[in-house]
Amino acid sequence: MKHRRAARIALGALRPSGAALGALAAALAFGQAVTAPGPSRSFIACPIYRDTVNGRKSGCWLATDASDGVRYDVSLGRTKPQIGHEILVEGRVSSDRAACGGLAMTPIHVSVLETTCPSFTLPAEGFPGRRYEVPLNLVLPPADAVREPPPPPYPPRTWAIEFAYGSDFLQYQYSEVILDDIARYVLAAHPRAVTIDGYAATRGWVVSERRLSEPATLAASRAALVAEALQRLGVAPSLLKVSWHGNAQAEPIDDGLPEPSKRRVDIKMSY
Amino acid sequence: MRRALWLCVLLMPLELLAGTWWTADSGQAFPARVSYADASGVITLLATGGELDTRGHPFFSSLGKNGRACITCHQPADGMSLSLATIQERWQATAGHDPLFAAIDGSNCPSLPQQDSSSHSLLLNHGLFRIARPWPPRTPDGAPLQPEFSIEVLHDPSGCNADREFGLTSARPMISVFRRPRPATNLKYVTAYGYTFEPKDGLPLPLDPRTGLRYSGNLLADQRARTLDEQAVDAMSTHLQVQGTANAEQLRRIVAFESQLYSAQSVDWRAGLLNEQGAQGGPDALAQAKPGVLKSSRNPQWAEFAGWAREDSPADAQQAFRASVARGAAVFRDRTFLISDSAGLNSMNFGNPTRDSCNFCHNATRSGMDIAPGQVDLGTTNEPFADPAPDMPLFKLTCRSQFAPQPFLGRVVLTHDPGFALTTGKCVDIGKITIQSMRGLAARPPYFSNGSAATLRAVIDYYDRRYKIGYSEQEKQDLTNLMSVL
Repeated sequence: MKHRRAARIALGALRPSGAALGALAAALAFGQAVTAPGPSRSFIACPIYRDTVNGRKSGCWLATDASDGVRYDVSLGRTKPQIGHEILVEGRVSSDRAACGGLAMTPIHVSVLETTCPSFTLPAEGFPGRRYEVPLNLVLPPADAVREPPPPPYPPRTWAIEFAYGSDFLQYQYSEVILDDIARYVLAAHPRAVTIDGYAATRGWVVSERRLSEPATLAASRAALVAEALQRLGVAPSLLKVSWHGNAQAEPIDDGLPEPSKRRVDIKMSY
Repeated sequence: MRRALWLCVLLMPLELLAGTWWTADSGQAFPARVSYADASGVITLLATGGELDTRGHPFFSSLGKNGRACITCHQPADGMSLSLATIQERWQATAGHDPLFAAIDGSNCPSLPQQDSSSHSLLLNHGLFRIARPWPPRTPDGAPLQPEFSIEVLHDPSGCNADREFGLTSARPMISVFRRPRPATNLKYVTAYGYTFEPKDGLPLPLDPRTGLRYSGNLLADQRARTLDEQAVDAMSTHLQVQGTANAEQLRRIVAFESQLYSAQSVDWRAGLLNEQGAQGGPDALAQAKPGVLKSSRNPQWAEFAGWAREDSPADAQQAFRASVARGAAVFRDRTFLISDSAGLNSMNFGNPTRDSCNFCHNATRSGMDIAPGQVDLGTTNEPFADPAPDMPLFKLTCRSQFAPQPFLGRVVLTHDPGFALTTGKCVDIGKITIQSMRGLAARPPYFSNGSAATLRAVIDYYDRRYKIGYSEQEKQDLTNLMSVL
């Protein structure tokens, strides 16, 4: 397992994949300074949209943790909230509160819950928001771009794709970069097999005095979607060994946040 | 300047002044370049393959039993679509006997008395053809899908959804919805895909096993056809009532013809020639440009008219209009507003609401389509945002408890057209309609898939109301002027 983690981190330095890279990219996208990780925090809250006007997609998202009354800036996740729906917030607290008027969390995972809540919108109230730019490493080249295959050698590799709580949605400007990397590497390396293991957080845990857990079927659908994506990218179905598991264990994937790592698909190639 | 403009116009082919209707089997040659007058100027069609002898050509021939050809509903003077004015003129000219008014879809329902104009009211008053979708929906291979929702007909003045032969409870159950014909031109922009992945579902676009290319997902309002071949087969069997299977050579010739055809406004009565003073209006630029290009800072949307931008306020009417078009392009790109409760947009991970501009969705350069498959719910066909449409069917869709509801409209949705959900059977797709090309708009009102906007200004007014944008009168006029010269 230790070797696996090391491999992931090493690969993370080489390729645009993984949650840490996503969080780093999110921070860079909004011009944030990258600092030492802050304390982790998880809570459920009703999101507030602050309508800052600083170009497209510049609005802020705020959420107050009822346990300490602190208002957090939860805008920096891959997934943005949906007004009128509660959100699960999992992340680390930074010291920045200038952009949106809340204490920014980064890295951060936001999951939209089915439970509804009032729709709250605030005006900008002098907060600038953040200009939105997509980091280049989270944008795939156009479909007609001429791309050389990755150069050899092709040592065995593993990848992980994380999901929002309760969701099998392959998140945009994150998942496709990893899937593209996997497919290109596999097509160049010709492995004997590609193992796809889907996980769901079936055991459950308590957040904001509420017990959360995922159905086991979510592990299956996550794995199936990753397999479908790889097939559509040209990976032969005969190479794919798909399985799924409940009761997922936390993996120290990149950003080190334990609970989000239980909602993942692992992809591993072997010769 | 005016004199020069008129000289240019007079030098164009005389279709500008002559009768414009193309009858099936007419045998007339299709010119390499032809222009027609429309409400705001001139639309020009460019056939890059050169003049075409249409005798026996399947696009121009009545292949089925109702006397129609493809050209019947894809008229060159109307930008290869069909304007409401043309439909009404044709009814007057033929006392309703033109094959355009064929019972199968040119009337509200085939079982109605066809000699009565009221039986064709949706076509005559709104420019809408009947589209009959199988119920339950079917896969591309024809296998029935188990839909995630049930459907009830709450109201249907057409009568067709309750019809014993054509309705929901008939031996071959069908849902009849009513839609505008999409333009059969500039199709390289419709079939192009800029990127491999579809951000709305996170998956790579499916591959067409015949060609190895990916489906763009941008054909037809409900994406029931994935390729131009499939669209032609669908149209031949339904709109043309061709018996049996489509002939491969006919399909090849139809697709070849429509794939080399480009059209756009080339002259505006107020702006003059649309390809001068640095502008790139007209079909030639469309024919030459690369499709599937996402707007960006390097490729701004509607940069075709950037050369008309002015810092001052010109007194000259033509220059003032051109400046307005350039401002309209800037408003289209840069004027942000809160986009909310729109499935296919806010259901991605951008959040609800998200602040963006028109080109969040209309993001493909040159066409204004969505570079990803453009199935989105802009509200044009659904409660509560659709304009009142008492002439249209109204359906109640109820999502079954084990499936996710429509993300913003809930588990029970009232809609005049379920759109993409009639293809996928999924609740999340209820009310999604594929974004269509914005070129040649002046030649083919009314707008939106259900013809609910009679004018370009009505399109702007709809969005202004739907998203509470608060456009100024100047912004509305600038956007309208931009759209009129595309």
